[in-house]
Amino acid sequence: MDAMTESGRGQDKSGHTARAVDPVVTEIVRNGLIAVTEEMKINLMRTAYNMIIYEALDFTVGLFDADGNTVSIGLGLPMFIRGMSETVKAKIAHFKGDLDPGDILLTNDAYITGSHLNHMTFTVPVFHEGELVGFSCCMAHWPDVGGTLSGSTTDIYSEGLQMPIVKIYRKGQINEELVAIIKTNVRLAERAMGDFRAQIAAVKTGEKRFLEMMRKYGRDEVLDGIHAIMNQSERLARERVLAMPDGVYRAESFMDDDGVSVGAPVPIRVTVEIKGDRMTVDLSEVSKQVGGFYNSGMTAGLSCCQVAFKCLTSPLDMPINEGQFRALDIVLPPGRVVSAVKPAAMRMWMTYPMTVVDTIFKAVGPAMPDQVAAGHHADLVVGRVNGRKAADNSFYIYLGGLIGGGWGAKHNSDGMNATIAMNDGDTHNGPSEQVEAKYPLLVERYTLRADSGGDGRFRGGLGTEQVVQAINEINFSSQMDRVKCKPWGLFDGLSGAGNSVALHRNGADKETHFPNGKALNQVLKPGDAYILRSGGGGGYGTPLERDLGMLERDVRCGYVSRAEAEKSYGAVFTAGGAIDPEATAKRRVEMRAANLPVDEPIAPTLIFPPKIEQEQFKVPEKLTEEERMVFAMNCRCCS
Amino acid sequence: MKANQGRLRLSADVGGTFTDVAAFDEPTGRLKLGKTLTTPQRLVDGIETGVGKADASFAAAQLFLHGTTVAINTILERTGAPCALLTTQGFRDIYEIGRVNRPEAYNLFFKKHVPLIDRDMRFDIRERMDAAGKILIPLDEAQVLEVASAAVKNGVKAIAILFLHSYRNPAHEQRAKAIVEQAFPDLFVTASHELSQEYREYERTSTTAANAYVGPRVRSYLSEMDTHLGDTGFTGTFLIVQSTGGLFDIAEAQTSCIRMLESGPAAGVIGSKTLCANIGLKNAIAFDMGGTTAKAGVIYDGEVLMTGGALVGGYASGLPLQIPMIDIQEVGTGGGSIAHIEAGALRVGPESAGAQPGPACYGQGGQQPTVTDCNLVLGRLASDRFLGGEMKLDLAAARLAIDAKIAKPLGLNAVEAADGILRVAATKMSHMVRWVTTERGLDAADFALIAYGGAGPLHATMIARELRIGKVIIPFAPGHFSAYGMLFADLRRDLVNTWFKPFVDASFEEMEALYGAMERRGAEDLRRSRDMMVEVVNQRGADMRYVGQEHAVSVDIPMELFRNQDRAGIKKHFDAVHETRYGYSNADEKAEIVSLRSATVGLMRKPEPEAMAKGGASPEAAFRGKRPVYFSGAGTVETQTYDRALLVAGNRIDGPALIEEHASTTVVWPQDKVEVDAFGNLHIEIGRA
Repeated sequence: MDAMTESGRGQDKSGHTARAVDPVVTEIVRNGLIAVTEEMKINLMRTAYNMIIYEALDFTVGLFDADGNTVSIGLGLPMFIRGMSETVKAKIAHFKGDLDPGDILLTNDAYITGSHLNHMTFTVPVFHEGELVGFSCCMAHWPDVGGTLSGSTTDIYSEGLQMPIVKIYRKGQINEELVAIIKTNVRLAERAMGDFRAQIAAVKTGEKRFLEMMRKYGRDEVLDGIHAIMNQSERLARERVLAMPDGVYRAESFMDDDGVSVGAPVPIRVTVEIKGDRMTVDLSEVSKQVGGFYNSGMTAGLSCCQVAFKCLTSPLDMPINEGQFRALDIVLPPGRVVSAVKPAAMRMWMTYPMTVVDTIFKAVGPAMPDQVAAGHHADLVVGRVNGRKAADNSFYIYLGGLIGGGWGAKHNSDGMNATIAMNDGDTHNGPSEQVEAKYPLLVERYTLRADSGGDGRFRGGLGTEQVVQAINEINFSSQMDRVKCKPWGLFDGLSGAGNSVALHRNGADKETHFPNGKALNQVLKPGDAYILRSGGGGGYGTPLERDLGMLERDVRCGYVSRAEAEKSYGAVFTAGGAIDPEATAKRRVEMRAANLPVDEPIAPTLIFPPKIEQEQFKVPEKLTEEERMVFAMNCRCCS
Repeated sequence: MKANQGRLRLSADVGGTFTDVAAFDEPTGRLKLGKTLTTPQRLVDGIETGVGKADASFAAAQLFLHGTTVAINTILERTGAPCALLTTQGFRDIYEIGRVNRPEAYNLFFKKHVPLIDRDMRFDIRERMDAAGKILIPLDEAQVLEVASAAVKNGVKAIAILFLHSYRNPAHEQRAKAIVEQAFPDLFVTASHELSQEYREYERTSTTAANAYVGPRVRSYLSEMDTHLGDTGFTGTFLIVQSTGGLFDIAEAQTSCIRMLESGPAAGVIGSKTLCANIGLKNAIAFDMGGTTAKAGVIYDGEVLMTGGALVGGYASGLPLQIPMIDIQEVGTGGGSIAHIEAGALRVGPESAGAQPGPACYGQGGQQPTVTDCNLVLGRLASDRFLGGEMKLDLAAARLAIDAKIAKPLGLNAVEAADGILRVAATKMSHMVRWVTTERGLDAADFALIAYGGAGPLHATMIARELRIGKVIIPFAPGHFSAYGMLFADLRRDLVNTWFKPFVDASFEEMEALYGAMERRGAEDLRRSRDMMVEVVNQRGADMRYVGQEHAVSVDIPMELFRNQDRAGIKKHFDAVHETRYGYSNADEKAEIVSLRSATVGLMRKPEPEAMAKGGASPEAAFRGKRPVYFSGAGTVETQTYDRALLVAGNRIDGPALIEEHASTTVVWPQDKVEVDAFGNLHIEIGRA
C-alpha cells in the first residue's frame, strides 16, 4: 500500500445537487439507519454459533455508500471503526465496477482489514432498480482460521488461511470451490460454516432493510438524507475542532516490548496539528513494524486516529458515519507498527492501537484540557487456561481475565474503576460462580487494587486483581503489555499502576513475576494460583489540589491508603483519623516547594526472576479436533 | 373469613402524576373507573378520591389491588436507607466491579453504575462454599456480629447478605441473617438466596442490595397504607402487583420489596393478555405510551413473555435486578417529549417536559414544543375536550412553541413541523416495538398492537403502519388500563434455582425433588391468601443451552413431559425454542441445564367481562361533529369525531375519524376501518395506503 495521506473528505464528491433536503425524512432515515445496523447486529448474534461473536461481541456490522464511505456502523469492536470501510473500498477498487446483484464479496486479508486473519469480512453490494446504491458489510471473528498451534508467530503465513478478495457468491450462486478451500484450511469446518451463514444472514438483513427504506421514503430522499446526516455530523465535528486552539502538539509513549525482543521498548510518537476546523494526526514517528506478532495494518492506524477524533468531537453522535471524520487528516506511511506490511505477524493486532489512541489524547491535552482523559490501562488483561477435569479427564479451555481496569481521570471527574479497555466496548466479564461451576478453578479474590489509580486532583480509576487457584494442574498463558510503561497522568496528575501477571506457587512465600507481562505456557500444580492485575488510570491535576472531602472518602472507602494520602496528597490526619485541613494545607505548601510528589511513569527495571525449574507445557500429541481448535484461539481481540 | 364481605374489587395504579382506580362489582359485572391527581403527601387520599370517582367505597370492597412506583422511585431518586453489604471474603468489590462493560464505546466521560452501598459499608466475611455447596471455610459468626454492630453504629438501617454459591447452599447466608436479626430485631435484613437462587454474583448482589435499599421505605409505606385503609373502613384483602404481573400479600411485599418494582407496566401487559384471551387473539404486542416513555411487552401464543432480569436506570449505567419479570422494553418517547434542533437536525426526546411545566399547551409556563403540542396543532386533540374538558389546552401556546423552536429554523410551517415531529416520534417508537420481537426471533408484522396509556391510542395507528402491523386494538378505557389489568391478575410466586447439569445426566428424581421444593415453597408463600384462590397451578421451565454456550434460553416445559419422564420431548422442546430465538438448533447436539424455574400461580376468580349493548353498524348516536385534522399524505381533512362512551358493540367507523374519551383519543387514519367489539374494544384494521 502506498503511503497514505488520508485526506479528510471535506469536499462533497457524491455529486448531489443542492436539492432541498426534508429534515423530517432525514431524521427518520437517521433513526432508521441506527435501527438497521442494530438489527444486523442482533441477527448476527442470534445466528452465530461462535461465542466470541455473541459473548465477546468481536464483530462489526455496517452500511456503506456506493463509494464505500461509512453510513452507519453497529458495534461490535470499537477499534474496528475503520476496518470495514477500508475493506469495502478495497473491494470496490478490486472489482472496478464488476459487481452484480447477488454477489457477496469476502476477504480476510490482514493488511486490508488491518487486523488478524480471524476477521472474515463479507460484503453485499446493494442494488436499487439496477443501480448500485451502497454496501452492507459484516466482519466477525472466527475462532479458528488454521495456522500454527503454538502461541508465537513471526510471519503471516504461520497464522492461517489467507483469503484474498473474492466473490464467494456470484449472482446468487455460491462458489463451492472457495468454500472447499476454506473448509480444508480451518479446524472444525462445520462450525466455521455456521458463522459463515450467520454473516451472510446479517449482510442480507442490512441489504433488505436498506432497500425497504428506499421503497418507503424514496431513493432520492434516503440518499439525500444520508448525505444530510453526514453533513450534520461533519458540521458538529468541525465546530468542535474549530473551538480547539490552533497549534502543533506532540506526545510520546512506549510499549514494553514486542514479546520477541524482550525488554526493548517500542516507541509511540504522535503529532497532532489543529488548524482552523481541521485536525491532522501524523503517525509517521510511531515505531517501525516489529518482529513479534503485535503488528497491525494501516487500517488499524487509521482507526486509532478516528477513534481518538470521535472521542474528542462527537462521542455520542449516532450513527457512526464518514461525515464525522471529514475534518480529520491522517499521515501514516506504511511499515509502522500500526501500518505493517506483509509478511508482518498480526495475531495480537489489538494491543498497541489502544496506546496510540491514548497518546493522541496526551498530545492534545494542553490544547483541550476539558475534553481528554489521562492514560488508561490499555490492555485486555486476559489469562488463557487449559487443563483436564478430574472427574472424567476431559479437556477444557477457559478464557479468563478480562477483568477490567482503571481509566484516566478527566478535568471534572475521577476515572472509572474496573472498566474494559478501549479496544472493547460492551464486552462483559464472566461471573466467578460460573467459572467455578464449570472448571476446576477457585477464584480466591476479585477486587479493586487500592492505590492503583494515579493520584491527582481527580484520581485515576482503580485497576483490579483476580487471583485464581488451580484445583487440578493447568497450563496458563498471558500476554499483556503496559506493565513497565504505566498509564500516565495529565497536568501533574500521577501515573497509575501498570498491568501485571504473577504466579503464586503453593508454599512459596513470594510471587513469581513477569516483568514484561508475557507469561507463556506456565504449568500450575494443584494449589498454585495465577494473579492478573490490571493497571489503574492516570490522575488529572496535582494531587495537592484534591478536594479534602473526596480524599476523605477515598481513604474511608479504601480506594487510597492512608500512607498514600500522606505521601502523595499531603494529607495530615488527626489523632481521631480525620483529615486536618489546616495542617494539610501547610504540608501541601511544603510539598509544592519541594517538587513533591514525584511521579514514576516507568516502573523501575525489574530484575528477571530466577529461572524457574519447571517443565514447559507442550501441545499434547493426542488431541481431538475440538481440543486442537482451542489451542488455536490464542489471538482473540476480546476475552 | 373475609370472603363473605362485599363482592367489590378495587384496584389502584399510583403513578407520578395520576392515580387510576378501577372498581369491579361482581354481582352486577359493572366496571367503573376513576382518575385523579396523585397526592404525594398521603397517597391513600388520592386513591380514596379515585375510588369515589368510580362510585365505589373501600368499606364495601373485598379486595384491594395496588400497583405502586414507591420502590422504583426510591432507587431512581436515590432516597433509600443507609445500608451495609456482607459478602464473601475476596469479593467486597464485586458490586462495584460489575460486568466491566463500556456500552458508550467512544465516551471518555462514560459513567458506569453507582452502587447503592458505598465501599466503606461493604464488608468481607470469612466464609466460603464451593460450586457444589460444600463448605470450604466455615462462617466466622463472631465476625458477622462484629461487622453488623459496627455498621449499625454507623447508622445503617438495612443489611444485605450475599455469599458465593448460596444458590447451591444457603446455610451461611441463613445463619448470618439469623445472627444479625437476633442482635438487631428492627433492622431490615435480606439475604440473596431469598430473592434469587441463580448464579451470577454481581447481579444477585445488586438485587439484594436494592432490596435492602428500598426495604425500610417500602415496609413503612405499606404499613401506613394498611392503616389508612383500615381508617377508610376497608376490611378486605390487600395485595400488591409484582413485576411478573402476579400478586403478593403485604407480608411478602414487605420483605421481597424489590419484586414490586415495575408493578404498573406489568399490570397493563396482564390486562392485554386477558383481552387477548377474551377476543381469541394469540399474538399481540402490548404498547403503553404515557407522558415520558413508551413501553412494549409481548403476548406470544397466549402467554406473556418473561425475562430473568432487567437493568434499573437504563442499559449503560443501570443497576441489574435478577428476578423474573415481564419482559418490557422502553424508549424515552411520550406525550411530553421535547422536540429540538441539534446541528440543523430535528430530534425528538428523550428530554421530557414532564408534568411540570408540561407541554406548552398546558399553559404552565412550558415553552418547549412537545409531542402533545403537535397533536393539538394537527387537530387530533381538541382544546376543550382534554381529560373530558377538565383541562383547557392552549392552542396558541402550542403553535408558538412549534413555530419558534422548530418550524422557523427548518423553514417549515407549524403544521408541517408538528406532523414531522410526530412522524419522527412514531418511527422511534416503532423501532423499539420491532426490537421486542426481533430479539426473540419473531416478526412484529405477525402481531396485533394493543395500545393504551393516555398517549397510546393517539399514535398506535402510525406505529402499526411503520411495522406493517394489520390490526390495532384500543381496549376499553385505555387511559386506565393498568388499573383495569390488575383486576385480572393472579397470586403468583416465581422461583429459580441454578443447577448446572448436562441434560443427559439430569435424573428425573433429582429434578422432581428440586421442583417439588420450589413448588412447596411457592404454595407456602401463597398460603396466607388461600381464601382468595380458586386453584393452585404449578408451571415449570428451565434455562438450557447447548454444551459450550454461555447464554441460556428459558424454556417453558409442559408438566406432562415430566410426568412421562420424557427426556427426548424436553430436549425437542428446547431445540424448538432455540431455533426460534437463534435461528439454529441441532437435535444431535448435547444440551445442559443451567437453572430450573418454577411459577406457582394461585388462580383467583376473575371478573367476567361485561358484554355491552349491541347496536347497529352506524355510530351516529356517538357522533359529535367534525373538525379539521391534518394527516400527512392526505392534508387537512374534515374529520368526524365520536364520543367513545356512546359507542356500542357492532358500530363501525371508517377513517378518518377521532374517537374521544375521558383520558385518551384514538386517531383513525383515512382508509382505516374500526369496529366496536362486544366488550367495547375498538378493532382497527389498518388501511394499506
